[in-house]
Amino acid sequence: MPRIGVYICHCGENIAGAVNVEEVRKYAEKLPGVALARNYLFMCSDPGQELIKQDIRNGLIDRVVVAACTPRTHEPIFRKALENGGLNKYLLEMANIRDQDSWPHWHDKEGATEKAKRLVASAVAKAAFLEPLEDRFVEVAPASLVIGGGVSGMFAALDLANMGYKVYLVEKSPSVGGNMAKLDKTFPTNDCSACILTPIMVQVGTHPNIELLTYSEVESVEGSIGNFKVKVRKKQTYIDWDKCTGCGDCVNACPAKVPNEFNEGMDNRKAIYIEFPQAVPKRAVVDIEHCLSCAKRTIGTKPRIHSKTGEPILAPCEKACKTGACDRSREYNPEGEVIELNVGTIIVATGYKVMDKAPFKEYSPQSPNVITAMQLERILSATGPTEGHFHRPSDGEKPKTIAFISCVGSRDKRYHTYCSKVCCMYMLKEARLIKEKYPDTNIYIFFIDVRTGGKDFEEYYNYCRDLGIKMLRGRVGAVDELPGDRLRVRAYDVDLGAPVELEADLVVLATAIEPAPDLEELGRKLGITCGSEGFLKELHTKLYPVETPVKGIYIAGCAQGPKDIPESVSQARAASSAAAVPLTLGKVVVEPLISEVNQRKCTGCGTCVQLCPYSAIKLVEDRGRLRSRIDEALCAGCGVCAAACPSGVITLHGFTNAQIHAQIKALAC
Amino acid sequence: MSNVQVATGVINLSEGDPGLVDEIKELGGEELLECIQCAKCAAACPMVLAGFSFFNKRVIQAILLGLRDALLDDSSIWACQSCNRCTEVCPREVNPFEIIQAMRRVAIREFALPTLSIEGLKSLYDTGHAVYLAGAGSTRAKVGLPEKPYSTVANPKALKELQAVIRQTALADLGIIPMDESDVTETCEV
Repeated sequence: MPRIGVYICHCGENIAGAVNVEEVRKYAEKLPGVALARNYLFMCSDPGQELIKQDIRNGLIDRVVVAACTPRTHEPIFRKALENGGLNKYLLEMANIRDQDSWPHWHDKEGATEKAKRLVASAVAKAAFLEPLEDRFVEVAPASLVIGGGVSGMFAALDLANMGYKVYLVEKSPSVGGNMAKLDKTFPTNDCSACILTPIMVQVGTHPNIELLTYSEVESVEGSIGNFKVKVRKKQTYIDWDKCTGCGDCVNACPAKVPNEFNEGMDNRKAIYIEFPQAVPKRAVVDIEHCLSCAKRTIGTKPRIHSKTGEPILAPCEKACKTGACDRSREYNPEGEVIELNVGTIIVATGYKVMDKAPFKEYSPQSPNVITAMQLERILSATGPTEGHFHRPSDGEKPKTIAFISCVGSRDKRYHTYCSKVCCMYMLKEARLIKEKYPDTNIYIFFIDVRTGGKDFEEYYNYCRDLGIKMLRGRVGAVDELPGDRLRVRAYDVDLGAPVELEADLVVLATAIEPAPDLEELGRKLGITCGSEGFLKELHTKLYPVETPVKGIYIAGCAQGPKDIPESVSQARAASSAAAVPLTLGKVVVEPLISEVNQRKCTGCGTCVQLCPYSAIKLVEDRGRLRSRIDEALCAGCGVCAAACPSGVITLHGFTNAQIHAQIKALAC
Repeated sequence: MSNVQVATGVINLSEGDPGLVDEIKELGGEELLECIQCAKCAAACPMVLAGFSFFNKRVIQAILLGLRDALLDDSSIWACQSCNRCTEVCPREVNPFEIIQAMRRVAIREFALPTLSIEGLKSLYDTGHAVYLAGAGSTRAKVGLPEKPYSTVANPKALKELQAVIRQTALADLGIIPMDESDVTETCEV
């Protein structure tokens, strides 16, 4: 007969404010198998854990139920307490009477107390069937994968590489650099973005421990901490990167014109292109969708021979290429190449995307002089479409009056409800750069709140005000196009308490920060969910900000939510140190909460093999028959196989049929 | 402001005067740009309670946007009682009262001052009091006070000095009130 100890936590007022803890304790005391029930203000505190340890040491109990908060954060703490008390740590069951009871039912004390009783009864019923389990260890592949080559990904990769670990850095664009490479200057110090970023890019490109996989995307991820098997698709560049020197001759020769993504569509690039002049690696890529196949030179065909000269007729890019990197006779597989990596840990740093202006019909997005802040960034940048000359798009004139509109798509239930966090500062920065260079420019910034919360940010804001940049509180209602490429901005100045209008030459929309495209799909591949805003969810907002629910996978930068550069870098370096821990230890503990097949009884039907999301089950020959066998290293303990097995011969340790049935039965009565 | 604006109530920022900020800074409102429109000054201002449309915070915002005409068309700035509470409570050391004073200086230059102000100025020049009730003498005597207070009114020498000072100010150039020395009599009262 098990002797179960029940420990009910007050969690200060978190639980005790809604649940009558003493009543639950009295109820628990009478449940079958319960040897004793106690309550305490903070069970997770040292004296709280001591209660459990003492009761174990005194031989009073041999199973433990803790009714408290979430096992997500606190199960390890109580398992440790059991272990220190001298009991197998898997003889613990938690009842979540905080997140799942006192918090949602705070207004109904009686109901909350009743629910707490049920949850405790259910946990006690399961606890009676708990069995001791032994931890297992897996070897850790001494390498890490970083997804995303922006400033976060690069810092994460560099830190790990400098610690001596092999790092694969996967970036979907032809070059690393990310959004930061597009910026002109960076607040709050107004460093030139390229000047501080390109040396980092070069370090990443030349570091002996970093294998740079640009123009590549993660195809699939299998396995678990220590042994992730990752398939990466290197997209087809149609250029031999081993031979390409990045001289740009082919780019000059190409006649095709395609809107330039790097310059936010403000000018054109060629169909064969190098992403930007400071690209790392500096290699050309053929955008096959827009390639004109000049001289009928489709990829993978032999060139026609000129009837008079007898020379092969080549495409301009081929002709221009001196190294033979651009060889259109070669058979290229349009699917590219899939490579397999084996890594111990993964860092996701996929960054963000700036929202487009198109959805905002009220702001005349069709006007060339209504631009996004990122487009303005490119206009201001020395590497941008105007080489840093401040021109407005419609006629190349220098704008005299500029209106900035904040929170475009942010704090807006139709688009994104969250604050995009960096817009106030980047607007001030752009306004300041313009005002410092051209003091005669009239700049109006329409705010709904000025949020300059970072270190040195308020000082930056004050400086901008002193420059004479005008701030108006009030969301702009409309931007109308007027004859002569003028724009009329209509707003209500809350501080003046009056409707205002303004004729502007250029309107800049501070559009929202959005999750990178396909982030949700990547999350699915990795087993990490996105929050309601579409950014990847960290394990715990405060205590585990770079960890995810999947052990061994960490997040950094704007993949987690809008962030500025200093914050992104800090988080990237935090993620890299977290990701280095398993690599340093060389082996990691894996919970034994995994499935096992009773080989003797398995009929070899293969149902489980098909269903296993981790490809951990295989049919193997055993005593003349095929029977399924589970690879312990790959099993994640999801339980799909155990639930589906028609013969009921798969056991999920820690969640056996007997345990689950007892738990349900106790809940139902 | 154009007539259209007056009719619709919409303020056209394009017609704002970008020079107004510097003018105010020169005329005593040096800390103008420090204002972040927190409205603490407005919470302490009796003009707000009295219902005047351009009180400290709004005056500052209007100046920042260069709305010279809007401020000159409205007599609110002359309603400031100089209680100085705004300056005492301002967390940004903007000195809102000084800004209203500076705006008054702008208004005076443009002769945009209400009749009452002219009378007050004249009274100040003539008696040393912006508001002085000449007929109060007998009432004062009844309660045991001297008919004239011990100020410039009762002290022709001091009054002369005050007038000399006023003649040194911009008021003399503007000619808003008569300042001819010969006009001044020692008994001039309103």
